[in-house]
Amino acid sequence: MKLKNYDFYLIILTTLILFAIGAVSLYGITYYNYLAVDSRWTMTAQYSQYIDEMNSYLYPFLVLLLISLGLCIPKRLFEQDILIKFSAAILGITVMITVFSGLEKGLGFILAIMTVVQAIVLILTIRKSKSIRFEKEGYIARMGSSLLHFGFVIIILNFVSFRDSPFHLLIFWIGVVLITVGNVFSFYPEKMALMWPRE
Amino acid sequence: MGFEEYIAAREFLGTIGQPVITYILIISLFQGIFSILYLIKKNSRYYDYLIKCLYISTGLYLTGFLMLAWFHVQIYDTVLIEYPAALRQMIPVENSRIAAPLWIESEKLYFWAMCASIFAMTVTKRKDIMSFLGVILSIFSVVVYFFSNPFKDPLPIVNGEITQWYALLLSSDMRIFEIAGTLYGRITFYYNSTYMWTHPPMLFIAYASLIITFAACVYMLFKKDRLYDEIAYSYAKIGYILLTTGMLIGYPWAVEAWKDSAWWWDPKISGSIMMWVLYSAYLHSRIYVSKGKMWKTTAYLGIICFVSLIFTYLLTYIVPGIHSVVQP
Repeated sequence: MKLKNYDFYLIILTTLILFAIGAVSLYGITYYNYLAVDSRWTMTAQYSQYIDEMNSYLYPFLVLLLISLGLCIPKRLFEQDILIKFSAAILGITVMITVFSGLEKGLGFILAIMTVVQAIVLILTIRKSKSIRFEKEGYIARMGSSLLHFGFVIIILNFVSFRDSPFHLLIFWIGVVLITVGNVFSFYPEKMALMWPRE
Repeated sequence: MGFEEYIAAREFLGTIGQPVITYILIISLFQGIFSILYLIKKNSRYYDYLIKCLYISTGLYLTGFLMLAWFHVQIYDTVLIEYPAALRQMIPVENSRIAAPLWIESEKLYFWAMCASIFAMTVTKRKDIMSFLGVILSIFSVVVYFFSNPFKDPLPIVNGEITQWYALLLSSDMRIFEIAGTLYGRITFYYNSTYMWTHPPMLFIAYASLIITFAACVYMLFKKDRLYDEIAYSYAKIGYILLTTGMLIGYPWAVEAWKDSAWWWDPKISGSIMMWVLYSAYLHSRIYVSKGKMWKTTAYLGIICFVSLIFTYLLTYIVPGIHSVVQP
């Protein structure tokens, strides 16, 4: 089964989710300003409540963003109908884990799944596998897209699940390098190709 | 070398810098007038004058920047903070010098304006966008002159810290231990921090590039020409790379410098997240810019992004928080 304009609607969905995260951030600014009635308020329990509340508003959109990433990337591995069923199953399990074990565990689960998927996509991209299909043309642009998405998922996974790990900053810097190189490769594939003998 | 030399350098900067920024203001006002005249009358003569003004004002901005750089070198050379013996048992150094970056306090808006002028010089072939930018840059120079003039009272906070340090040294005040501890933190985690030398300039260069994206999006909305999308995109790419990496670099800095302080969901951080997701949304929407009315959505998004950028910048001055200069 092929949905007409699938990629277009996926982009619209992603844009709307990003916009919603922007709206959550704007709400956070307003709410902080409302709560900050004296300079010591961040030392009170109210600040912790504010952080928890803001995280709880952000996480659902983060899950949706990761689902949209999932709908976008594994399509290179699966057909559309399998992909939609796969994403629906992941979302269902995430919701169940969230209900029984909390939002952070649910988010941790989906992030772990997406990290594995993105890692597979990256490996297949590097190996120029024919089993993945891309909207973008050219090896460098595809590498950029894969590196960028992989780095993005790693950064969020690190924030959510490895905040207290001794490797937190190391993982963070790996994510930064992946995102930066991914951005440069995605935006300037022709210029990068000049430095890339395999192209 | 000491406090007197530092004071002399500061006064000299004011003496030589004030005329430079005054000329920047005057030339930029002419630049604004020629831009408006070109926009109304479409006469190439006005455009030629506008470009001449742009080159002169950019040259003056760079001259002023070199003067500021000289002053920062003087601060480094003349001011030596020697920590009291009792404090040396708690901190790993015996003394510090201040390597203040060139984008702090009243210098940050100057740095942004200078970068914006340099970026504007790369679009001089696009007369329409350039003339619109000419107006924006003119407003920028007025704001710098009246609200963020780096030569009027050079680095007031740094100056306050240095002046207080030397005053305490002379008076043998016991508060010197407390102030030395505070100064050690400020110098190590703020002025001399590698992050301070990378995180803010990357963001300001990104902001400068994104001004051109904004101008091109405004034109795309009015002229409905795909060419403007190409221009907007080419500068959004530079801006987005620097914005993303620059913002991310801020994270380990916050972890290192603020440790257990309350910085997560701070208004400036929320604003930066908002700005970044909006630019991500803009870049996503433009993938289908030729489909139906998507060009309109993309143009509006590009404009909203820039409004969020200005808003995020201003947050430091209007909303309390760890990044802010205002407190409740």
